[in-house]
Amino acid sequence: MPESEATCCQEPEVDFVVLDRIIRDEFGGRREAMIMMMQTIQRRYRYLPEPALYYLSQVLGVPITKIYEVATFYASFSLVPKGKHLLHVCTGTACHLKGSGGMVRHVAAKLGIAPGATTPDMKFTLETVNCLGACAVSPVVVFDDKYYPQATVGQLNEFIEKVNAE
Amino acid sequence: MKIIMDGKEVAAERGQTIVEVARRNGVYIPTLCHVPALEPAAMCRVCTVELVEGRRTRLVTSCNYPLRGDAEIRTDTPMLRQNRKVLIELLASRCPDAEALKELAERYGADLNRFPAEDRQCIMCGLCARVCERVGGNVLALCGRGVEIRVDTSFGRLSPTCIGCASCVQICPVNAIRIEDMDGERRVIVRGKEASRVQLRKCTSCGIHFGPVIDLGPVLDRAGEGGVPAFNASVCPACSRRSLARRLAERHFEQHAVESPDADEEG
Amino acid sequence: MATAISTAPDLAWTKKISSPQELASFRQAILASLDPNAPRIRVCCGTGCKAVGSLDVLEAMKTAVAAAGVDVHVMPEVKRTGCHGFCSRGPLLTLEPQGLFYQRVKSEDTAEIVQKTIIGGEVIPRFLYKPPGSKEAIAKVSDIPFFAKQTKLVLKRVGRIDPFDIRDAIAAGAYEGIAKVLAEMTPQQVIEEIKVSRLRGRGGAGFPTGVKWESCAGQAGRHYVICNGDEGDPGAFMDASVMEGDPHAVLEGMAIAAYAMGSDRGFLYVRMEYPLAVQTLTAAIRQAEDLGLLGQNILGTDFSFRVSVSTGAGAFVCGESSALMSSLEGKVGRPRAKYIRSTEKGFRDSPSNLNNVETYANVPEIILRGGQWYTTYGTERSTGTKVFSLTGNVHNVGLVEVPMGTSLKDIVFGIGGGVPNKKELKAVQTGGPSGGCIPIPSKFIDINVGFGKLAEIGSMMGSGGMIVMDENTCMVEISRYFINFLVEESCGQCTPCREGLTRMREILSRITQGEGREGDIELLEEIGQFTNNFSLCGLGTSAANPVLSTIRYFRDEYEAHIRDKKCPAGVCKPLYYYEIDSEKCTGCGVCRKRCPAAAIEGEKKKPHTIHQELCIKCMECYRNCKFDSIRIM
Repeated sequence: MPESEATCCQEPEVDFVVLDRIIRDEFGGRREAMIMMMQTIQRRYRYLPEPALYYLSQVLGVPITKIYEVATFYASFSLVPKGKHLLHVCTGTACHLKGSGGMVRHVAAKLGIAPGATTPDMKFTLETVNCLGACAVSPVVVFDDKYYPQATVGQLNEFIEKVNAE
Repeated sequence: MKIIMDGKEVAAERGQTIVEVARRNGVYIPTLCHVPALEPAAMCRVCTVELVEGRRTRLVTSCNYPLRGDAEIRTDTPMLRQNRKVLIELLASRCPDAEALKELAERYGADLNRFPAEDRQCIMCGLCARVCERVGGNVLALCGRGVEIRVDTSFGRLSPTCIGCASCVQICPVNAIRIEDMDGERRVIVRGKEASRVQLRKCTSCGIHFGPVIDLGPVLDRAGEGGVPAFNASVCPACSRRSLARRLAERHFEQHAVESPDADEEG
Repeated sequence: MATAISTAPDLAWTKKISSPQELASFRQAILASLDPNAPRIRVCCGTGCKAVGSLDVLEAMKTAVAAAGVDVHVMPEVKRTGCHGFCSRGPLLTLEPQGLFYQRVKSEDTAEIVQKTIIGGEVIPRFLYKPPGSKEAIAKVSDIPFFAKQTKLVLKRVGRIDPFDIRDAIAAGAYEGIAKVLAEMTPQQVIEEIKVSRLRGRGGAGFPTGVKWESCAGQAGRHYVICNGDEGDPGAFMDASVMEGDPHAVLEGMAIAAYAMGSDRGFLYVRMEYPLAVQTLTAAIRQAEDLGLLGQNILGTDFSFRVSVSTGAGAFVCGESSALMSSLEGKVGRPRAKYIRSTEKGFRDSPSNLNNVETYANVPEIILRGGQWYTTYGTERSTGTKVFSLTGNVHNVGLVEVPMGTSLKDIVFGIGGGVPNKKELKAVQTGGPSGGCIPIPSKFIDINVGFGKLAEIGSMMGSGGMIVMDENTCMVEISRYFINFLVEESCGQCTPCREGLTRMREILSRITQGEGREGDIELLEEIGQFTNNFSLCGLGTSAANPVLSTIRYFRDEYEAHIRDKKCPAGVCKPLYYYEIDSEKCTGCGVCRKRCPAAAIEGEKKKPHTIHQELCIKCMECYRNCKFDSIRIM
């Protein structure tokens, strides 16, 4: 198994006790539960830290390449830390028809980042999501886990101002 | 089992894939992501053929379609030729200079410059990743998805598990992977980017560098009983041959020393 | 994105129900404890209503009821329920026993509702629903056309029961089907009954469910029963609502399937964007196991069936069966190129039966009432009902369950209430991103929705998304949208899907930006046919449908973009501009005040003008002009 000492030193925040609790206790160390383990790890750290994935590889006996493959395949996984505040703009069909595409472009332009990216000050991450199943109240945005139905550009500006004021 | 291929009955065994039957009977079907040694992945789709089932015609990939009963197959209809043409034109934009595509383009009348070239030096056949999983050290994988899919190492870093076997180099149909042996190290370079660096073994006899120094554990596990003794050699193949020749010559000399000196010339 | 709802009641202390007969008496006991005339307030807590704050309404209602100090005997029961389907009107309340339907209720309204309606018995008119174009408000659920015109078989308990309390579901008849199966049917009889019903898979392909079960049951080895809850189609939320509103229907359907196929293990694969569904299903499984309705020795018999929930990680392609199974195994969810059915060799290389949420939810009722009964709904080739999620430019957005064969007109106008803001209906898009756009008005408005019919006209049933598009929808742009979606969601392994879609997106983007060229339409058709012919999985072989169907029916719109550099619908920004019709403009000044770019000028009561160089084409003036004087040029 590959050594991951170098990366461990750069990112010392990974807690192996926590990882053990997730991998072994919560999911019984089952290889098939790997995606859910990774989700739990991501929820804990807001992204997938490299040392955590190497540790996962070691415990499960799965080559790191396979884990990296999974981490880059699924849209919800991120290998870079996400911002403190998370804005999801739904771009499902119903929301699209009500102009969510323009909302994404507006926020992206205002923050100077592409969808999926985080501002350099690590305060704000802009993401798009393909349908949240709340089509009746489109366009929908989710800011820090709270749903905002029939969202407007004005509301998005408020979020940005609020974050910038922090 | 009666198999008709392009109007002629051909010899086939149950369970053989269409491509196997075609090759055996000298029928040409193009392939880009298929080698007999690896399990078919049906990714490039260029080997798609028409399978006639009663009144219905189905499109199947010949590299992985197992023949289990009577079947009629058409390998070169105008419809297939048209779709293969588009396929090659699309792939050519990824890899404009690939010889493998030029040959096919000629055959199907494809215009290699139909779509703007974005030189990615890779046609995404996935062979390198598959062979690396099967033979090598699980270094290369298909990462990302959608149009972003690419061959890469974990985290895009130099891989510590590479055994320097160079299977990827051998298998790549567009020569996008090469190795460089230099200063006692082997570098595997994928599309111009270094993927791994493996230390080379130094010959105890002549001092040149030859095979890679690798962790034999996983390799021997995969090779099973009998192992791969060549990896344990401490002398290079040339020295090893030379020493074998020397030993043979010595033995020969010992055997023939008691016989007449003329015998040597006869042998 | 999870917003936790209060936890489900713990039933671990209860005795397991040890026979099918005991389940009947358990149900009787629950029913006996309920007073049918007791007031009951149901608060919809589906995803749509939650988004508009129904959880706050639920809590406020509980507080209001407690504060009002209503007599214990008439203490109204405040319940959260799954989705009523009428999502555009949320938050929704239903009040029993009167059967009142209140819509758009806010937290601050709760005290008034308790005082006036619960205690005073008075109906508050402002919460009642008024159908579009009508002055009459409707008080009762059963009288609202949106509900009255539906036939609810799959959704019958959704919106009526608390999905977190299994006793509610049992009282409403859940698990009667599995009890019947265990008491009196052999696995072969179960399969036979499903075959008689002619139930077809509701995930889109429409494969006969009974045939699938039979072929899986006939295989050797351990069998797996898998439920596809990876409803990825944007604009579709019917499976979400079933899982969130009546998880037991799905679980019971899976248990019956497991019994029929001799399986003891099941998995529910739910997309991660549905956190509420994961919560309801997990709670439902735990409660059902506590009561002996799932798990070891179900209802005291030899039959055991354990189910667990797995979540996806954001990949649309995982709705494809082989990709879903790969993902369940913890691997990358790329479809596998194999000419072996998953009923033979699927999950863990074992025989696996995969059905969609709605398919399983149909099963218990078929078993209870018989396959023959089921065929009385729908058409000869498409039996039963289908749930559609009606969204887009339509008055009543929400979930609609109708018998197969219902006409598009009945769905869009009868139930959906037509297109708002006096706009013209232009098209209906069905089948999700790989479906097609059906042009309307045309003969297609009368088409009967079923598996075969939609395919004939170049669309498909898909899982049941139905998106209504009005005259302001640009068909070129919408096909660019769908192709862009598929480019992002393609797994990327096979050439046609990866390269073909990329090129199509490139061409479509160019056209919508006014840089279309002669020959682009033909090129799109050529690439589109190639992707549909040569791709590996279902995603790829249907990926070009949005393009091909819009070219087929709206070719003139493509031509307008390419030749005239015009977007007739006024969507593609470089290809249109707004102009004020001086004949119609009354100079009311609404547009001038609303314009965020200060691009509109004009004196009061005199026709206004737009400064084109300042206009940002935000549509604000167009949308708000009451005199229809702003035109798309």
